[in-house]
Amino acid sequence: MTAFSLPRNEADDFLVALIEKQSLFAPVEKDSIISYQLVANPGDALWNFSNSTVPPKGILFPQTETLFKFTGSEVSGGIELPPQEKETVIFGIRPCDGRAFKIVDHIFGWDYQDPYYLERRARTVLVGLSCYEPASNCFCTSLNGGPSSKEGLDMLLTDLGDRYYLEVLTDKGGKLLNKNRKLFALALDSDTKEKNSLSKKVESKLKRKVMSCDELQKKMGDLKEHKFWEETSLRCLGCGICTYLCPTCHCFDMQDEVTDGKGRRVRMWDSCMFREYTLHASGENPRPTRVERFKNRLYHKYKYYPDSFKITACVGCGRCTRYCPANLDLIDILTEIGKI
Amino acid sequence: MRNIQKIIKDGARKAVARDDVKYVLGWTPGYGFRVSPFFARTAEDTERLIFSPLCANNLTIYLTLQEKLPLPKAAALDKRKIALFVKGCDSRAVIQLIAERGISRDELVILGVPCGGVIDISKLEAKFPQAIKVEAVEEGEKLSLKVDGKSQEIPKEDILLKKCSLCEYPNPLIYDVLLGEEKQKKTKDYQGISTFEEKSPNEKWTYWGDKFARCIRCYACRNICPLCYCDSCILDKLSPQWIRRSVNLSENTVFQLLRTFHLTGRCIGCGECERACPMGIPVGELNRKLEKDVRELFAYEPGIDIEEKSLLSQFKPEDSEDFIL
Amino acid sequence: MSENFEPNIVAFLCNWCSYAGADLAGTARISYPPNVKVIRVMCSGRMNPSFVINALQQGADGVLISGCHPGECHYMEGNYIARRRFTLIKKLMEYIGIEPERFRVSWVSASEGEKFKNVIAEVTEDIRKIGQMKQLKREV
Repeated sequence: MTAFSLPRNEADDFLVALIEKQSLFAPVEKDSIISYQLVANPGDALWNFSNSTVPPKGILFPQTETLFKFTGSEVSGGIELPPQEKETVIFGIRPCDGRAFKIVDHIFGWDYQDPYYLERRARTVLVGLSCYEPASNCFCTSLNGGPSSKEGLDMLLTDLGDRYYLEVLTDKGGKLLNKNRKLFALALDSDTKEKNSLSKKVESKLKRKVMSCDELQKKMGDLKEHKFWEETSLRCLGCGICTYLCPTCHCFDMQDEVTDGKGRRVRMWDSCMFREYTLHASGENPRPTRVERFKNRLYHKYKYYPDSFKITACVGCGRCTRYCPANLDLIDILTEIGKI
Repeated sequence: MRNIQKIIKDGARKAVARDDVKYVLGWTPGYGFRVSPFFARTAEDTERLIFSPLCANNLTIYLTLQEKLPLPKAAALDKRKIALFVKGCDSRAVIQLIAERGISRDELVILGVPCGGVIDISKLEAKFPQAIKVEAVEEGEKLSLKVDGKSQEIPKEDILLKKCSLCEYPNPLIYDVLLGEEKQKKTKDYQGISTFEEKSPNEKWTYWGDKFARCIRCYACRNICPLCYCDSCILDKLSPQWIRRSVNLSENTVFQLLRTFHLTGRCIGCGECERACPMGIPVGELNRKLEKDVRELFAYEPGIDIEEKSLLSQFKPEDSEDFIL
Repeated sequence: MSENFEPNIVAFLCNWCSYAGADLAGTARISYPPNVKVIRVMCSGRMNPSFVINALQQGADGVLISGCHPGECHYMEGNYIARRRFTLIKKLMEYIGIEPERFRVSWVSASEGEKFKNVIAEVTEDIRKIGQMKQLKREV
């Protein structure tokens, strides 16, 4: 599709225009934690960061979400979908997190079409921002991604110093561009060349790699009963960091909350690393120890998911490795798997 | 000091060679500045162990983490001991666990290592974002770093974890073998906490409400805590459900209140909760606040004596009650 | 705070002293503010901090716990043990910014109907001044 360029000193005008007509989510830093927040002021949005602490998945798939409300035994007003909200733009998504939406789309649009997620997905434009300074645990290139991968995004901005290079990737992105067309000039061929060489340069900064998704998927099929899992998962503390900060983890639980005769059915993120995740009402737990739970998480990502949807449920953002308090280094683990 | 690595490895090798030891729990270097907990089962494994100011993990958690499943028929319980390395603060966790009958002393071989404080790795990662292979050696007040072949010296005080710059117990209080030389104690003060106590409820809530609001309830602070080892935790209970699973300010605050309260007079201040938090919530500050009160009001300190009774199961008739009507 | 704010107070009274004290206030026709909702517990030592916190989550503006005077506990030392717990949970709640008025403890014996009235009056007035509980209240 066509490419455009946006002078650096007009970048804030673009954000102002986005804030005016849409709800704009952008990366915001507070106490060194970077997360995507609703912004009212273009100055709050970060342009220079390696990646956010918390991925933007929570905007389309909130950690806690009311599905419907009820009083007594009555469902009030039937099953009500979230009210039609303004069009939303998520700005500054790193390409890995953008790919994650494409991956998660499979599960929410599979045998059951999840109306909550899909409705939000339909009215949200994803504006990506190419990576220029990958973090030490990034390994997106091993998972078919890259510092300026376009999958899942509607638009992609790349920082070329005095200007941004903008690629429109979908119709949704095109519509957003047309609303703000006057801010952008058509990109020159030299811009395109510059962007491509920059992407290559950034790609070469990525130091960590694992084997390809296909190899991994095949290899893991043979390893189910290997003692490797037991030894590796001994260190796991069973907390939810790796799953909650993962851009592709999508498991949820549903509970009813009642206060004063009024209640709501809520769905909230759940983590397969918790003991309660598989605990049955009978007291039986098919994944009784951290070994099964840890193994399942990796199998889900690199084996079961590609078996079902032909795409690995990992984008190589490295958050699980970066934030694991017991330093269960996923990249090392995948490398180990390759050696067995 | 350079031979501390050799001392550690020798100590571990001797322990692992014992017939009555299952494995040695220690630290091994990972990618960049990271250090991982490591289970050494053979003499060969012990070659991978290290000790440096990067070894932040309190390994005591692994004494109670293992799930106790019913044994298969005819299988005998493995009664061998666990050998583990403990720093000063870690050793207090071991003492507290023994005092609470969470584990028994004769199940353990304790390898004590005096510790001059551990480093806040995120500060180093900010300085050297692309580090691959790192060696860190403590040299007095400095940390001598070798990052990918290049040597660097950094004043330790700038990069120590907060709890370490006020550490009263750098030397293990309980051990079978002490490896390395004893370190100088520092004095603890509760300056920051006293200042905060003076603020108005509104100011306090502005600070904490903002922090609790961003909690993602991954429960890392609970799971990494060496003294959170209940088989069934109030946070996971569904009936009655004291804490709802939905993530909002009310439930997040209650979660932190109860987590902290359940550690009253038990928290030994290893600061692992705070280190584990991916959202940068200073949860350890709440524990320190109660530690201060417990000291001032009841002259009690957990994790010092394995015979000590727990704080909340004893009382003195003259305990203060000035707030009671 | 608006003038028509009526505090909602949950009082946990021990079966042997304070509950009987409240009973005495009733039979002696001593009137006290109707803002208090009484829950009887067997001993102040039965109180788990979760009860207090949960009440504040569910819409109470303040919580009162009342038990026997020290030394007079039906179970010998229940209130002594509870006292340490109350001290510390109170300190912790105050530290995160919950007003001290929201969590009160009193010792009221079975013969102190008058004191029970005074305690309820004081607690109600104090909470009336600071207004609704906002920090822990659940959003519905």
